[in-house]
Amino acid sequence: MMAQQNGQPPAAPGNAGGNRRNPATTPASRPAPRTATPQTYSAEEVRNGEAKFAAQCGFCHGRDAAGGETGPDLTRSQLVADDNRGDKIGPLVRAGVPDKGMPAFELSTADLNAIVAFIHDRKTKTESLVGGRRSVDPGDLATGDVEAGRKYFNGAGGCSGCHSPAGDLAGIASRYKGLVLLRRMLYPSGRPAPKPATVTLTLASGETIKAPLASEDEFSIAILDPQGKRQTYEKTSVKFKIDNPLAAHFDQLGKYTDADMHNVYTYLDTLK
Amino acid sequence: MRNIVRSLITLLALCLTAPGQAIDPKLLLHPPADSWLTYHGDYSGRRHSSLAQITPENVTALQQVWKFQPEGGRGFKSSPIVANGILYLTTPDNIWAADVRTGKELWHYKNRQNDAFHIGHRGTAIYKDTVYLTTPDCHLIALNARDGKVKWDVVIADSDKGYWSTHAPLIIGNHVLVGVAGDFDNLPGLLKSFDGDTGKLQWTFYSTPPPGSKDSISGGATGGQMWITGTYDPDLNLVYVGTGNPTPVLNGGARPGDNPWTCSIVALNADTGKLVWGFQPSPHDTHDWDAVEVPVLADAVFNGQPRKLLMQASRNGYFFVLDRTNGKSLLTVPFAAVNWAKGIDAQGRPIPDPAKYPSRSGVLVAPNEGGATNYRSPSFDPQTGLFIVNAADSYGIYFFKPEHGSYGWAGADYGVAERSFLRAIDYRTGKIVWSHPIGEGAGSAGVLTTDSGLTFSGDNHGNFLALRTSDGTTVWHENIGRMGNAPVTLELDGKQYLLVGGGNALYAFRLRDSAPASGAPAVPGGHHGAAARQ
Repeated sequence: MMAQQNGQPPAAPGNAGGNRRNPATTPASRPAPRTATPQTYSAEEVRNGEAKFAAQCGFCHGRDAAGGETGPDLTRSQLVADDNRGDKIGPLVRAGVPDKGMPAFELSTADLNAIVAFIHDRKTKTESLVGGRRSVDPGDLATGDVEAGRKYFNGAGGCSGCHSPAGDLAGIASRYKGLVLLRRMLYPSGRPAPKPATVTLTLASGETIKAPLASEDEFSIAILDPQGKRQTYEKTSVKFKIDNPLAAHFDQLGKYTDADMHNVYTYLDTLK
Repeated sequence: MRNIVRSLITLLALCLTAPGQAIDPKLLLHPPADSWLTYHGDYSGRRHSSLAQITPENVTALQQVWKFQPEGGRGFKSSPIVANGILYLTTPDNIWAADVRTGKELWHYKNRQNDAFHIGHRGTAIYKDTVYLTTPDCHLIALNARDGKVKWDVVIADSDKGYWSTHAPLIIGNHVLVGVAGDFDNLPGLLKSFDGDTGKLQWTFYSTPPPGSKDSISGGATGGQMWITGTYDPDLNLVYVGTGNPTPVLNGGARPGDNPWTCSIVALNADTGKLVWGFQPSPHDTHDWDAVEVPVLADAVFNGQPRKLLMQASRNGYFFVLDRTNGKSLLTVPFAAVNWAKGIDAQGRPIPDPAKYPSRSGVLVAPNEGGATNYRSPSFDPQTGLFIVNAADSYGIYFFKPEHGSYGWAGADYGVAERSFLRAIDYRTGKIVWSHPIGEGAGSAGVLTTDSGLTFSGDNHGNFLALRTSDGTTVWHENIGRMGNAPVTLELDGKQYLLVGGGNALYAFRLRDSAPASGAPAVPGGHHGAAARQ
């Protein structure tokens, strides 16, 4: 078992899954929140927690808690940052998050405490790293051509239709670095949340409402009203049009060459 | 002679299984309508049922009969089996037996505490009066199907080395075939056959050479784990199994060549485990695209000729049709976003583009690590010729540099964005006939089709869906929480049941007693028929 710990861990969420609008399910792409209440754990607690975590949590959250096949990066989780000796993590683990595919876990208090110790230890260790996860260094990424990137940004990429280096992207490379910047460039997620989709709803009465989209499935659509409350409508009872700025990002993923991607990244990396 | 044997087998199948009756493995050749005896429901892996009581016209009268939410249960990535009116359901380290009519627990067995990998579990299998549980710590445990008492317990592989098992065994005669998994260590891929009565090892198939082997054809690759239940052609006596990715996972330079038999479909003699043929959906994989997805079998016309077909919608984004007598390719067509291949070679295999190998600065690859589909069962509907699969258009970025080494993962990769669909593929052409969006992110539900023209699956928002198979339109839905695998169906007391896992529970659905039978077609096949209602 320990031999496995020394192996290269599962890299990351190819299969991140879940609802990308919920920051709890979107790993990386943002600075990790700071631990609210500093807490320390013995090496033995951490070691014990490492084995328990690997067995119970590792496949979804990665063996080092930095995100796995379906689970988010816990070292960047707000809930973990707010947790003090399991007061937030414990109830969540015991109840599960069935909607997000996380089952409820039946754990002894000792096992749970060990897992909490391990997660906090991983968070402390990860906080000392800047930007990227694993060994993807910012220096690995800026291999493109700034001018070609600028040209793509203003031309074929269509980026300038929504973004500007003097406007929303001013100083972007100071706020995000390395892998975080690259992932945010390709498909913005995490915090601060990207601009939500806007819904234009026409009710049966003929009234028209324009509001941010809260969630949507095949059968219903939910908006945030001016008070920030969710209002849900059956799709059969309204007419609606959704304007999602992220749709262009998704479409672009099928168009980038790797050279385009690195050029645009290298260009954005100059916007300090 | 063969016809007489067939008739006898058919007669046997017509006798519904009765409580306490041992399950003769011959029954698996023609599973009765009141049961779901294996992970796939039958040897073909089609996950298609001839039951037709529930139709597009009356499906809105479906209602929940019971909900089984066992203490200590977790999200079900398994598919239940049902025999003798008892359903058997698993999660890692656990198996439950419950009355299929009421959902009441009959017994529960919990494995010893262990620190092996607890990722998920696919299900169990039944042979005579024994059910089997594979465990995270890589044991195969035989239990009395009536009371859950342990009969014997054998080790499949050494979990301390990094193996674990999630496998739903495949029963063929007295063979119990079990596979393992293990991606974080450089371990040979193995599938074992145990004697269903005694637990004695019968044979081992290695997809990559065990330590100390000479004449390795794998190019130094380990891996190729077989972690999804295979399919079986009794006439050819061949078992078909998909194999997983090579290790080291992202560092392809450490293992030159095609790396057989990783990311492959292998045909094995069921009695000896000897390789008869192999086909590689992903030669020299560097993206973790296991080819373990169900190798679905059908006897159907292809290019004007009746053929014995094998179909796989593979994690790498391509749909393959093979002649299962010899493994020769008949069709290779993408069914989702792909950008990693330069073309298709003479054998029908995609040719990996070296420009999309993981690199120091990163490459943008479609699909992502989770793949264009994954282990969840697809379904083949013989009436329409549609192969229906939970598919995703997805993108990931892949990194490798020499500092990552050559052990285990040996690289880094990150999902970027993903959209999921239920897609219906025409097996004759690979053409997508319909594509039903189910949400952002990766899908998690498998698929079941029935002779009445219904497709059952789930979306990414927890809705259990019934679609019209011919065109993919939704005819019914109910929110039960995210599904982790495919539904199963069977007929009890003249009523068709659907069993489906959502969230942390398993649900049973059937039509309301007062449901109109309107539009329900007369059903051929006698024992599968809808009971006269009203």
